[in-house]
Amino acid sequence: MTRHGEVLLKVDDLTVEFDTPQGPVRAVDGVSWQVRAGETLAILGESGSGKSVSTQALTGILEMPPGRIVSGTAQYRGADLIAMTVKERRKIVGDRITMVFQDSLSALNPVQSVGTQIAECYRVHRGLSKQDALRRAAEMLDQVRIPAAAKRVRDYPHEFSGGMRQRVMLAMALALDPDVLIADEPTTALDVTVQAQILELIAELQAERDMGVVLITHDLGVVSDVADNVVVMYAGQVVERASTAAALEYPVHPYTEGLLGSMPSADLKGQELPTIPGVPPSLRAIPSGCAFRTRCPIAIDDCAAAVPPLLRVAPGRDAACIRRPSIAAKEAV
Amino acid sequence: MIRFVLRRILTAIPIGLIVTLGVFALVFAMPGDPLRELAGDKPIPAAVLAAKRAQFHLDDPFIVQYLLSMKDILTGNFGTTFAGADIRDQLALRIPVTLKLTLLANAFQWTLGLFFGIYAGFKRNGLIDKSLLLATLVLLAVPGLVAYFAAQYVFGVELKWFPVSGVLEGFPKSYLLPALVIGVLGFAGLARLMRTSIVETVNADFVKTARAKGLGEQRVLWRHILPNALLPIVTFVGIDLAGMFGGAIITESIFNLPGLGQFMFQAIKLKEGGVVVLLSTLAFISFILINLLVDLLYGVLDPRVRNV
Repeated sequence: MTRHGEVLLKVDDLTVEFDTPQGPVRAVDGVSWQVRAGETLAILGESGSGKSVSTQALTGILEMPPGRIVSGTAQYRGADLIAMTVKERRKIVGDRITMVFQDSLSALNPVQSVGTQIAECYRVHRGLSKQDALRRAAEMLDQVRIPAAAKRVRDYPHEFSGGMRQRVMLAMALALDPDVLIADEPTTALDVTVQAQILELIAELQAERDMGVVLITHDLGVVSDVADNVVVMYAGQVVERASTAAALEYPVHPYTEGLLGSMPSADLKGQELPTIPGVPPSLRAIPSGCAFRTRCPIAIDDCAAAVPPLLRVAPGRDAACIRRPSIAAKEAV
Repeated sequence: MIRFVLRRILTAIPIGLIVTLGVFALVFAMPGDPLRELAGDKPIPAAVLAAKRAQFHLDDPFIVQYLLSMKDILTGNFGTTFAGADIRDQLALRIPVTLKLTLLANAFQWTLGLFFGIYAGFKRNGLIDKSLLLATLVLLAVPGLVAYFAAQYVFGVELKWFPVSGVLEGFPKSYLLPALVIGVLGFAGLARLMRTSIVETVNADFVKTARAKGLGEQRVLWRHILPNALLPIVTFVGIDLAGMFGGAIITESIFNLPGLGQFMFQAIKLKEGGVVVLLSTLAFISFILINLLVDLLYGVLDPRVRNV
């Protein structure tokens, strides 16, 4: 059983490259984070920032090749997922660590009933009989609040609405009572009201099970709603790591600051929404030194010299900016 | 389901009318006199000619001839060919020949096509995959006619592995060579389609989900990738099976197999509109039935198109 607050998944210095005809491209660069039982960790970043690639690499579902893990460890309760054999990993990924993906229509097998797909977890990992597995699948559908679950267990993915389908995905991911749920943009394809329902459901089920949740998202609203801690990624690197409250209240890295500044709010009514100038760099041509410096309002020449290390700016929070090596330094600038 | 089948059969009726009328018109429009052609150089007494012409309604207007032919087909009163052979007997003799040839050819095509297609799809860029690509390219570039004659010459005449022509050596020996050639020519398209379909499916999101569920590679392949990758193949079956009869006309003539295709060929040569229309109707009905079966099968395999 999990103890509350126990570190379940600890990723350390994870680096992932893709081999392309033009040479290797570094999609994830020295990323570290951890998630504890009962905690929700948000990984926040734009598309292409490496947030999905990092979780796909550690769970072994990234296509390799062209993907390649250059370095790093991902320890589930002390056992390194990256170093272990595929067979050993399959006992953990899919059982103790499960995943939910963004687009539930394409992420569910279109020619299998949802019941069969959920039951498959019980069949493969628990060796249950077909009938028992299907009964458990129906119970799971009921737990994610799908009406008339016993009937709908025989329905196919296309017969569900988007929100209901994402519930099916959740039911499948939570079927084996996992320790860690990795939710890769679980609400991006849904409209706002359904999005709130799904996030609420995840939070409820998480509280029931004392599960660690890794929530990958590009949506600051989602982060502020549900995450305990947040890891901000930019161009494959972690640029800021903090508790959600602290990060929202007082962002240290200029990128996080820019993201927060471009969030619509009542104060900005009638004004043009501020944006971060420029576009995220191509992974083929990441600027030298700090990857963000070309878009950064406070960049200086020294920023181009070396990749800024992740510095402890205050207890429990880190940021990778040489201009702001501490909270105090930010205030001084 | 029953409504679906009935609807399909009902829509087949007007299509059938158009097809038979069109075929009959084409035969009618062909130049030459069928009876004189049958007689060859020998002189025919005018009285005999007139009697024959009356027997086959050759002097009636086009539409009357067509309606009389259709009446014969629908009442099962097939009559005789111009040469005097009983058409019902001919069909009884010839249908099994064509069926044997087609089924054997399909067996080769499907075994080869699915096996190599699936293997190449699962082991992409391997040796088998690359050789398959080259082999299919060559096969697809060879015209059927050339392949039939070449195979007949090399394996029949020169190497004597197979009978050159005819069905005297019975099933399966006499049918092996033509069926193999049809099968090998047809397998190329099938294998490539199967491979491409698998390659496309492998990158689908639900395959990622299956992997994230901790399923073994074999389970992912057979339970998740293949059932989805087979869907386009099912569509291919219908089209392909329908083309088999057309192919039989050429193959049966080259290898001298007394099947429906050869019968059709002779009937067209002799301008026997009634026989051509009868055979076309048979082909048409089997086409409709095969496609109905394919559509039903598709519904079984893919829940998204059920009840459509």
